[in-house]
Amino acid sequence: MVAPPLRSPALLGLALAILASSAATTRAETCLSPYVKRLDRPEKYLYVFCVDADAQENDFIITIDVDRTSPSFGSIIHRLDLGTKGNETHHWGFTDDRTRIWAGGLFSSRIWIVDVATDPAAPRIERVLDDVPEQTGLSGPHTYYALPGRMLISFLGAADGGLPAALAEFTNDGEFIRRIDQPEEAPYGYDVAVKPERDRMVSSSFTPKRNYGKPFAEMSLSDFGDELVVWDFKTRTPIQVMEAGLAPLEVRWSLKPENDYGFTNCALDNSIYLFRGKGDGSYEAKKVADTAALPADLRQSPDDRYLYVSCFGGDEIQQWDVTDPERPVLASTVVPCVQPNMMHVTFDGKRMYVTNSLLSTLDRSGNFCVRLVHVGPDGMKVDPFFDVDLTGFESGPARGHDMLLN
Amino acid sequence: MRRRVQLMVGLSAALLCGPSPAGEDRRLADIGPAPETALTEARGGEPFRLSDLQSEGKVALVSFIYTTCNGSCPATTHTMYRVQEALKEAGLFGDRVEFVSITLDPKTDRPEVLARYADIFAADPDAWHFLTGEPGEVAGVIASWDMWARVGPTGTLDHPSRIFLVDPGGRQREIYNLQFLEPEAVVADVRAVLDGADGPAR
Repeated sequence: MVAPPLRSPALLGLALAILASSAATTRAETCLSPYVKRLDRPEKYLYVFCVDADAQENDFIITIDVDRTSPSFGSIIHRLDLGTKGNETHHWGFTDDRTRIWAGGLFSSRIWIVDVATDPAAPRIERVLDDVPEQTGLSGPHTYYALPGRMLISFLGAADGGLPAALAEFTNDGEFIRRIDQPEEAPYGYDVAVKPERDRMVSSSFTPKRNYGKPFAEMSLSDFGDELVVWDFKTRTPIQVMEAGLAPLEVRWSLKPENDYGFTNCALDNSIYLFRGKGDGSYEAKKVADTAALPADLRQSPDDRYLYVSCFGGDEIQQWDVTDPERPVLASTVVPCVQPNMMHVTFDGKRMYVTNSLLSTLDRSGNFCVRLVHVGPDGMKVDPFFDVDLTGFESGPARGHDMLLN
Repeated sequence: MRRRVQLMVGLSAALLCGPSPAGEDRRLADIGPAPETALTEARGGEPFRLSDLQSEGKVALVSFIYTTCNGSCPATTHTMYRVQEALKEAGLFGDRVEFVSITLDPKTDRPEVLARYADIFAADPDAWHFLTGEPGEVAGVIASWDMWARVGPTGTLDHPSRIFLVDPGGRQREIYNLQFLEPEAVVADVRAVLDGADGPAR
């Protein structure tokens, strides 16, 4: 192919764009879709998705001021009432352009499209999708994964609360595009993540509403999945089913474009599994680390060196050095609060925000809060001054789950 | 628990040999209608309507750029140039596919400015249309594609990086992100749309 006859302004612009792109890869937020626009400055706002703890009042979203230069740093500055209760508000994700958050309820299967561009400090509801099960035949929307101009959503089960789970795509403004079925051999669903450089996607497994909707003591351990599915991303075609430990949850591809591997935390196997391309087009999955009890969330450092595992049952966060992905090394641990669950690592890898509710059917403590953990060369340290109490709302305590920064 | 590492039946061949046979390919969804886009062609000054390409049975590749951008726009236009060349090699550019680049900054990008930008990037004037217009009408077109441009903290325009593939029926069939756009993939998508083999995936 012949190079175009570019003149100097175009060459200059191109060089700047390439430089900007390469700079972004070394200091960038992790655990977001690769298609999401990255924050190019320190965080100002932390959004927390909250469940009214006794499901008697409406669920809501809070904004916490996390601008370290602000006099209200570490305090709640806004609360967005979602208009309904009992949703089990859980996970969410930015659209590719970072102007909207798609957020959903595991019990109600309701999805909110939230505008965070007009006033980032005070998000507002743009649209509520009340008919997702009717449109998709699915329930329990879980992962909200941005694609260019649209959202890919993994669901935990069928519309009747059973199986099979599947995925679906919507336009950014909420129009249903299509449903993507999973292979019969892998009927459970949970997370999904894409590796565009390899044209591969991996999805994971949990349990459907008929099980996660019960109190923990009544849940059936035989109704959880242990499968990872490898997909051809472009054609949305499943190409391989692999077995991992029971309940493989988050899917985290290595952040380096050249690496053809990733990790998942197996919540009911207390382990980390590595999935890896074998070089012949097929993949393998194997256990590479034993964690403390119930590893509920898995996060990455921007330099791809560390995995952070929140052990909901073990009351600690573990930092694993995965320089050698086959042999992770436990680098440090920290106890930010009881039953730590969701984490969110900042673009520079120096801070991590933590919440401590998993599901209303699984939480064993009511001391809901948001904590900040500092990450340095000597490991992780809890910030003694950043402690946002989620138990003192007028409506009573709230279970804080997923978080996003802006 | 039994060890399960299965290659999906009928797909192991695809894994080793390339894409699935025609008719099984679900690579392109029907994302929704492409908004009607009626603006002014910078090179020549004639009115341009996207629906005219559809009435000629052509695929359109639509991007949004502005000429003073030092971020993604030059890379977008350069990448589209590479796609242009790949489509020419495939014998598709012009006869079956045309390109549309719409300015995000119509106050600056008057026709002569946009025309100069197009020439710098060797955009073939036969089938690559650079569009501008009055700020109000351009803003309407931008919004209709769920695109936006606003002044960011550095004083430059911030905007999403999306490139749209529109089929001859006026439907959006793919949206590309610049960072992962490969010319060969676009050529394959154009062929799939023109063949109609995959049909809109629902």
